[in-house]
Amino acid sequence: MNMTPKAVVIGSLMVLTAVVLSVIVLPYADTSKTTASDIYRPRSADEAAGRKIYIANGCVYCHSQSIRSIDWGLGAERIAQAGDYIQDRPILLGSERSGPDLSQEGGEHPDDWHRGHFTNPRYTRPLSIMPAFAFLGDAAIRVLTNYVQSLGFKNADRRMARQRRWKKSAVTAYEAGPEANVKWLADHVPEGWRSVPNPYPTSAAGLARGHKIYQDFCLGCHGPVGDGMGPAQPHLYPPPLNFTILKGRGISGGILYYQIMNGITGTAMPYFKRELESEKIWDVGDYVAVYFINQSDANGKPRGIDAAYEP
Amino acid sequence: MSNAMATSPEKHLTARGFCITSACWMAVATFMGLLGAIELVAPDLTENLGWIVFGRVRPIHVNLVLFGFVTPGLLSAAYYFVPKLLRTRLYSEKLGLVTVITWNLALVAGVATLAAGLSQGREYAELIWPIDMAIVIAFGLIFFNLIMTVKQRNEPLLYVSVWYVLAAALLTGVTFALGNVVWQPDSGALVGIPDAILLWFYGHNIFGLLLTPLSAAVAYYVIPRACRAPLYSHTLSLLGFWSLIVIYTHVGTHHLLQVPVPTWLKVVAIVDSIAMVIPVMAFLINIWYTARGKLGEVHADVGAKFVFTGTIMYFFVSIQGSMMALPQVQRVTHFNNWVVAHAHIGVLGFAGMIALGGLYYVLPRMTGKPLYSRFLADLQYWLVLIGISGFAIVLTIVGLIQGNAWLNGETVYRVLPEIHIYYITRASLGVMIFCGALIGLFNIAKTLLAPSGENA
Repeated sequence: MNMTPKAVVIGSLMVLTAVVLSVIVLPYADTSKTTASDIYRPRSADEAAGRKIYIANGCVYCHSQSIRSIDWGLGAERIAQAGDYIQDRPILLGSERSGPDLSQEGGEHPDDWHRGHFTNPRYTRPLSIMPAFAFLGDAAIRVLTNYVQSLGFKNADRRMARQRRWKKSAVTAYEAGPEANVKWLADHVPEGWRSVPNPYPTSAAGLARGHKIYQDFCLGCHGPVGDGMGPAQPHLYPPPLNFTILKGRGISGGILYYQIMNGITGTAMPYFKRELESEKIWDVGDYVAVYFINQSDANGKPRGIDAAYEP
Repeated sequence: MSNAMATSPEKHLTARGFCITSACWMAVATFMGLLGAIELVAPDLTENLGWIVFGRVRPIHVNLVLFGFVTPGLLSAAYYFVPKLLRTRLYSEKLGLVTVITWNLALVAGVATLAAGLSQGREYAELIWPIDMAIVIAFGLIFFNLIMTVKQRNEPLLYVSVWYVLAAALLTGVTFALGNVVWQPDSGALVGIPDAILLWFYGHNIFGLLLTPLSAAVAYYVIPRACRAPLYSHTLSLLGFWSLIVIYTHVGTHHLLQVPVPTWLKVVAIVDSIAMVIPVMAFLINIWYTARGKLGEVHADVGAKFVFTGTIMYFFVSIQGSMMALPQVQRVTHFNNWVVAHAHIGVLGFAGMIALGGLYYVLPRMTGKPLYSRFLADLQYWLVLIGISGFAIVLTIVGLIQGNAWLNGETVYRVLPEIHIYYITRASLGVMIFCGALIGLFNIAKTLLAPSGENA
């Protein structure tokens, strides 16, 4: 083959044209007609403005918005559909997941949690490697939060409504004083859990494990001595619980376990059941009971059969 | 062209301009990479410095590596050897210098706008419309200058390196405009799934139609000359060239195997990713057989040494890339640092090494002066080679940890402490690469600025 300039230039352009027709134009004919998915709704102007801040600061380099069929471990209740993206210009699927996927983030946390988290992510998440965004200023953080709270569209709206409903009762309970607050917290734990003591005996190894979990997951809000004065505290309302007020107020290992596992929707307390296995939750619960409440029911009655590993 | 000019010694101003462009921006680009790596280890180190927040540093790093360091490095060599191969002079050095200046202004504007948070949010297509247009125009100027040089040639046959350079400038100009959706100046994007398909078509073609053909052009020029051997096979050159353009352009959707795009498009992307073995091996067999039994000659020239190492990296990154397109492999490698390792082997290990090799090969020849320091060039070679090999190993480990942990049901947050130590190692390796860039800049600047016998 004689590679004349014409052969190189016209030949390569013809190949490129054919490829663009087959892998860009042809799929466009199909994918550009995608209709809205069941959860889809248009974004408000405020949410669209928040999306611009998200783009300007390169959030997309660490956060995907694309839940894959293999993402069962990330808490995927819903796999992404083409109809979720029909107003996204540009689409923000992401290419690397240094942080969690955000496509269903709306309503996972209340607004105040996000404001503390954006101010410095380590306030609410001690192990996070996300940059602090305090430099954006309060107004921009508010707008950005509105965008994040819209991720998941109608599902996010339902979750946000739930956050707002429970925030009201949580604030009322907090403002009514420690006695009422502790009662409100315990009353929402299902009856069966309330009467369960921590089934494992307090041990040095268990407390050491609990200490590590506490530092990695809890310290940002509840503080190093469990008084609720962690660095996130100024941003959160109702503020993080001061564990010392639980003493003598009928707290059981089961109540602590349930609250850690399920979180307290409406407050900044997230659920940890996807991050901590059962033993870790019992351990950190007992750590809080022993060190901060100074009152542990570990290994108390009613007791089941001791686990096989116990000495 | 006047008679006086035709006989005056060539100054290769455009090639020199792109040479110093590449060396300077390599230092900036690798520093931004190092900064980003450090921010992943110590996120509060740069707290409240919004213009260097990680999400802005990363696109600055990526754009500068692609368009500041590697592309100008390869172009510098091309501006030197294309006229040589055609037994003529560059059509217009003036136009070439305008191109160099336009290119650098676009880069400065790119850094400033990204640091200020002006981004279109699409990977490799972040730059805003005016900068996109400047780059499209620059590619147009490059193509025009080269095709006019081809027109005035005294050598009837076009060597394979010339095909690759012409195709790279032309096709990248077109795909850059297309991929950046320049008819939508505000957003530079389409809407929804079609935007993802177009973006990864474009994104992958920055490697497929820009870095790879330019690198192949440099290798096809440097290796036979350094070995003083004829090219092994013209047929393989043809096969490699045409199969690259046909196959590489199809593979972009392998970035979207986990995304709701049409299944037939995924099948095309997977099949063609495997078929990439054809252009890759056609090129490599051609280069390696040319150099067979002559590695001593390759080793004797530091430029050829860089280039040859780049071809070995090309082998690894291409085989790896084909594998990563297989859905069963991608279940583990998708969305994590495995891909970051892959990208670094490709852009720094393959195209970056060859860009540096091209610079070191043509620098003494276009200045008529010896390289300022062969020792420093060797030192840079080892710093970059150890750095990139370390990156590949460490980030691949991180990717395996992340991918398998996620498949095992662990959350992203739980995996962060497991990868912390590797991020520290990665940042340390980044120091080596940044030092290599500084040494290269010093060496190249000293060579360019040394008092000249011939051209003074």
